[in-house]
Amino acid sequence: MTTSADIQTLETEELISGSEAIARACALADVDVITAYPIRPYDTVMQFVSKLIADGELTCEYIVAESEHSQFEIVKHASAVGARVFTGSSGVGWFYAFEALAVTCGLRLPMVAMVGNRALDDPGAFGCEHNDALAVRDLGWMLNWAATAQECIDTAFLAWRVAEDPRVFLPVAISTDGAFLTHSQQIVKVPDKSLVDRFLPPYDRGKFQLHPDNPITIAPQVNEDWLMEIRRQTDAAMRRARDVIIEAHEDFKSIFGRGGDPFLEEYMTDDADVVLMGMGTLTLPLKVTVRRLRERGHKVGFIRVKWFRPFPTPEIIESLSRFKAVGVIDRDYSLGSPLHGGVLFNEVRSTMYSSDSRVPIIGFVAGLGGREITLRSTREMFEITEKAAEEGTKGQEIHWIGVRE
Amino acid sequence: MSTYAVEVVYRGIFQKRLSGNICRSIVLASRMEGKIGTAFGRYGDSPERNGIPAKYFAVVADDALELEEYLAQYEPTQVDATIVVDDTLCKGVESWAWYGLQPINALTKPGGTVIVTSYQDPEQLKEDIHVKDEPYNLAIVKGSKSFSGLWVYKDDHTDVRVLGALARVVPDMVSLESYQKAILQQWKTEAKVVSSQRSHERVHISPVEPGEGNETEPYSFEMPGWQEMEEALVIPGIAQGGGFRGGEGGFEPVRSAVFKKYSTRTMRPVVNFETCTKCTLCWLQCPDSCFDVTPDGLYDANMEACCGCGVCEDVCPVPNCITMVNEEAFVDNDSQYEHWQKNRDDYMGWLEKKIALGKSERRSHGFHHVGQYQEENAMAEVGSDD
Amino acid sequence: MTTTQQLTPLRGVKQSPLEEFFTSGHRTCQGCESALVMKLMIKAAGPRTIVLGSTGCMYVANTTYYSTPWVVPWMHTQLGSSGSAALGTAAGLKALMRKAKMKDEPINVIAFCGDGGGVDMGLSAISAALTHNDYNLLILLYDNESYANTDIQVSGSSPWGANSTFSPPGTVHRIMNKRWKKNMAGMLAAGHPQVRYIATGCASYATDMMNKVRKALSIGGPTFIHTFDPCPKGWDYDPMYSHELGMLAVQTGIWVQYEVEDGKITLNGPSRLLARGRPRLPVEKYLERQGRFAHFTKEDTAYFQQQVDDMWERWWIPGVVPPGMAEE
Repeated sequence: MTTSADIQTLETEELISGSEAIARACALADVDVITAYPIRPYDTVMQFVSKLIADGELTCEYIVAESEHSQFEIVKHASAVGARVFTGSSGVGWFYAFEALAVTCGLRLPMVAMVGNRALDDPGAFGCEHNDALAVRDLGWMLNWAATAQECIDTAFLAWRVAEDPRVFLPVAISTDGAFLTHSQQIVKVPDKSLVDRFLPPYDRGKFQLHPDNPITIAPQVNEDWLMEIRRQTDAAMRRARDVIIEAHEDFKSIFGRGGDPFLEEYMTDDADVVLMGMGTLTLPLKVTVRRLRERGHKVGFIRVKWFRPFPTPEIIESLSRFKAVGVIDRDYSLGSPLHGGVLFNEVRSTMYSSDSRVPIIGFVAGLGGREITLRSTREMFEITEKAAEEGTKGQEIHWIGVRE
Repeated sequence: MSTYAVEVVYRGIFQKRLSGNICRSIVLASRMEGKIGTAFGRYGDSPERNGIPAKYFAVVADDALELEEYLAQYEPTQVDATIVVDDTLCKGVESWAWYGLQPINALTKPGGTVIVTSYQDPEQLKEDIHVKDEPYNLAIVKGSKSFSGLWVYKDDHTDVRVLGALARVVPDMVSLESYQKAILQQWKTEAKVVSSQRSHERVHISPVEPGEGNETEPYSFEMPGWQEMEEALVIPGIAQGGGFRGGEGGFEPVRSAVFKKYSTRTMRPVVNFETCTKCTLCWLQCPDSCFDVTPDGLYDANMEACCGCGVCEDVCPVPNCITMVNEEAFVDNDSQYEHWQKNRDDYMGWLEKKIALGKSERRSHGFHHVGQYQEENAMAEVGSDD
Repeated sequence: MTTTQQLTPLRGVKQSPLEEFFTSGHRTCQGCESALVMKLMIKAAGPRTIVLGSTGCMYVANTTYYSTPWVVPWMHTQLGSSGSAALGTAAGLKALMRKAKMKDEPINVIAFCGDGGGVDMGLSAISAALTHNDYNLLILLYDNESYANTDIQVSGSSPWGANSTFSPPGTVHRIMNKRWKKNMAGMLAAGHPQVRYIATGCASYATDMMNKVRKALSIGGPTFIHTFDPCPKGWDYDPMYSHELGMLAVQTGIWVQYEVEDGKITLNGPSRLLARGRPRLPVEKYLERQGRFAHFTKEDTAYFQQQVDDMWERWWIPGVVPPGMAEE
């Protein structure tokens, strides 16, 4: 156990963005291969990475690829020979890499990528939306949403630790809201490498390492006689990831002295009747609104989902069953889906189907394309959800918040 | 109420159009009788390779509902007739898409028929065809294997001759008359109708009793479950080879234990070790790495790995040193070199006999030049069966 | 730059290494010349090699779960990823070796692709890989002139007029593929002058091909080889003639054997003799033996001949560098 005094001497405070925090994590985790390709806003991480390399603070093979597809393919193959890797993308760039994203899961390669969440073209827009990262939600990627620059650096260490655990061997995408995390600076505790080394063991590819000393064949073509078994294996790995995440969070807490519940961050929910929930940086205006509404006697709270894959099903059932109504805020859209709601809304709603408490769940689509989720709009969402609690609706409503009529 | 199913087992690419023609004609002919059917290639075989055994199916039912009932299983598990358009397939087939050797009559239902295009007699064919617990029939349509390539079709009437025989063998499925209507409709030539008629009359049918046939156990492969399979899409590579037969000198590669390629073969090379100049070309140019290098610098073709392409014969600079011989002349995959080592005179006698028995005057593995198929058809008097 | 394995040239066919690192277990066609390219490529490279294979025949037919013909470590990569696979593997090895996380030794890295994967989809990634001089890798493009794995569809490397399932001759349009084959090696050599070795090859000239692989792996940096592989399935000919058709393509001048080493272009073998004035065989000798050209008229053959003649008579360097500077 590290004492708080130890941690103080082994960490320095710096004013850095989420992107820079992850770049620093790359150096501290001694990443071996990094690939870059420009697209706003994730590319900021690579601007810091390249400077760290240029200044000798990070030693790795650093390749500026000619497309996102190559960017992800290159690290995929580096990972197969046993190298710790990092890459990232945003918006349509992430989609350009989509083929590589899909195959990485079946290959069980522990790639860690940063997604600087960005709206999808057309029209070209570089503000935040979560549809880019969410597009891989069914494929075997573990998906995490960070809320602060501190969480960016912390999650990066957790990501390699979980992804590279032989019980898992699946890729992780760290989602960082474009602009809010990629382009604004916050005070971040940057740990000393000795602390990181205690938390993060070296990547050992073991019997799957592609090397002349281990002459295996990887990914021969299969037909219907084999594929279900292979999918089932990947499914089992994703199921195991849950416990590995919990274990890693516990270790993280004991070494670094911070980090709360692995899956959900709950804010003033203890006696709450009504909560809103969401992912990423919208946390900030929501916390402020919760405080202000509570000053006026409203029993409200906020819940932030940290890991979207594996989805924290038991935690969500246990948590939401306590409330009279829940509003789910999606910074994404899922056109034509049930009730035309967002992705998180439908997943939460589906999760609660089997719970005894059939709490009304209201869906909100907000903050698309990087539009600010204002204090006013958060109040509006609480009002609608409180009304649902009072009226005992079944929660069949979807509201677009902050859109000009 | 009756539903009939037929499979055509064929050589990939070489007989792709032929097998398609047969199955399509069955379904089109069944429409003449107000029946309904479907024709389809086995999807798992679709990345088809030259020579590799593949399957095409035709299913015919009295009405659409009945057809639907049958097709609730994607692939027939029992067929009224197994049509084998190359008699070397009688040794068993390992398709592109599965592991293990499947007997040619595996899907033939009790009392069903295996129709083979062949010049061999039933007794010879039964040496190859694996035993079955139930009785069935063996029908022979006399003729050589009809091979052509992907683009140019050798129309030697094999398709309609098979249909004529089928009308004899499974008369209740589709009548000869309906086949002939469908033939005329598709090809618009009386000559093909005549060919089907002749074949219908001349097809030779004989019963096969339970337990009659090739008694060797076909090699099989057990599919592991998901918890037994290695994760991360990993399978072990082939182990490093070593000296010939595990001894000093020469080289013998380790070969795949799970997939053997010999059921792709219709001809095999036989080697005259006495005239071999050890030039290396057969060994070096073999795409299947099937030649073992002996300690004395000769090359022994492994008959489980050889798929019979014939490149070795083509590149061999010594006349008649390597000769491609029809596969029907052989019953085992034994080493020729070991035979020669053991008894040279006996081997040379064997060699001579095999060449006499099975050397083809003309190879028929697809296209050689424009006009070739017409020439061959004219020489063979297309439509005749002798 | 980490050092490379120094693979000595083979002086004649009898020096070919006995060891096979690509054996049986593959399900390719009878007479598959691309399978032969694989065998010769890895025979030349030896056991301390990692091979990456992009989607195509040499993936799907070679390695069907649960079998493999590979003795050396092998991994699949995506259709357009041969360049990235080579780069990623080489970069991974280099990082691990220079950080002492892996034993430091020269390991050959070869990524192969077919013409669909290389000439079409993977071109940008191959081009990118060839700009990374820090990594030792070889990209081998096996060219059977169609998407042969998916049923023979026309590619950017298919010859003019060839029958394919996407360019079938019809009653109104006899010639559906009106494109001329891309000049891959020449294009890559012209565009990547830092690359130390780019060559064309053909398994019909086995020793030459193996030596080109050896030279590419020994010389260091990113390198590229384009092989010409007769395909009995897609070209429609008797599989026993794969070897002969490769030779005919060279002797008619349709395929030019050359290497570009440190910027110097050398025509090899028969191509060299043709350049020096040995008569080329008429292209008809090559075309008439393949079913994919069976629909050709005399005029089609003459047009094909004319294109080949132009290449030999008007190009700056036959088969490599197109017609030269404007005449004053």
